[in-house]
Amino acid sequence: MSENLHTRALQLVAKARVEGLADSERDWLNTHLQDCEFCNEHALQTARALRALRTAAISVPTDLASRTQFRVRLRAMELRESEPKRRMLWLACAASWIFGIASAPYVWRVFEWFGHVTGAPKLVLEIGFALWWTIPALFAVIVLLLEGVQNSEERDWMRPER
Amino acid sequence: MRDESKSIARGLQQRDPDLLDRLIEQYQYRLFRYLMYITADKARAEDFFQETWIRVLERGHQYDGKSKFEAWLFAIARHLVIDWQRTKKAQSLDALIDPEQQKPLQIKDEIEPSPFDQVLTQEREEDVQSSLQKIPAIYREVLVLRFQEELQIEEMAGVLSIPVSTVKSRLYRGLDALRGALQGGAA
Repeated sequence: MSENLHTRALQLVAKARVEGLADSERDWLNTHLQDCEFCNEHALQTARALRALRTAAISVPTDLASRTQFRVRLRAMELRESEPKRRMLWLACAASWIFGIASAPYVWRVFEWFGHVTGAPKLVLEIGFALWWTIPALFAVIVLLLEGVQNSEERDWMRPER
Repeated sequence: MRDESKSIARGLQQRDPDLLDRLIEQYQYRLFRYLMYITADKARAEDFFQETWIRVLERGHQYDGKSKFEAWLFAIARHLVIDWQRTKKAQSLDALIDPEQQKPLQIKDEIEPSPFDQVLTQEREEDVQSSLQKIPAIYREVLVLRFQEELQIEEMAGVLSIPVSTVKSRLYRGLDALRGALQGGAA
């Protein structure tokens, strides 16, 4: 029997397990395995190896699920507690932006009056006015960053360090 | 399956604690086994097991229910292990194995046959475990996902973040390595 036939048979034995075979390939392989002891033994070894892999059992620590459930519930409580704070923060930001838009003409008049009194150039006044608008966003970013740092510090002790 | 995935997705979005308790119970064996195979360390597998479920709680809103829940779960677990490895500057999943600390995995026999059969079975399973540890981790991982977890190749590609063709080539090589390792172990 030619070497190519054995090579093809061994490839099909693996393909049968990985991707599955077309009917024609399966028929050809079955016929070959009936005639070829070497390839048949290879197919049996593959089947034995996979059976051994499938039937291998691992013992799970008995309290692992309950310990995990406890930790998950604790973390869920932490998240529930932090959610209203975050919602309040976004509400405060939204309110301050709405107020900012509504009061923009008056605030600009104040800036103009301040420029008139101090003689500051218009560009400085415009930059000041723009910065005034970024204050709520800056405040929100700072609060979120601080919260992020705090969370990452809390999580460090949970990380596996062994 | 799709309905179940959708209901899990809805529950995770609401951070339903009862659903999470049920999922932890339901997937404890499969997740722990997967972590054991990729870390080869029981204590680490336990840590990553807990951390994975915390991530599931925190990132539950990202699961859309379009794919199998277990594929998403394994992807989270795998990323945690890889992130941890990066902080430790390890080169590959095999770097997680400490030969000094490595012990044969404990084997549980669920059928409870005769003591003689138990000894034979345990020896055979210990052979399987020790043979598996000889296989490079990237192949061990695909073998576990395909032949123990019975994931489809496309699902595996999602879990591993690699192309389908790479999954297939790893499976072919892994199969060869497994057969070789078991033959070597039996010899």
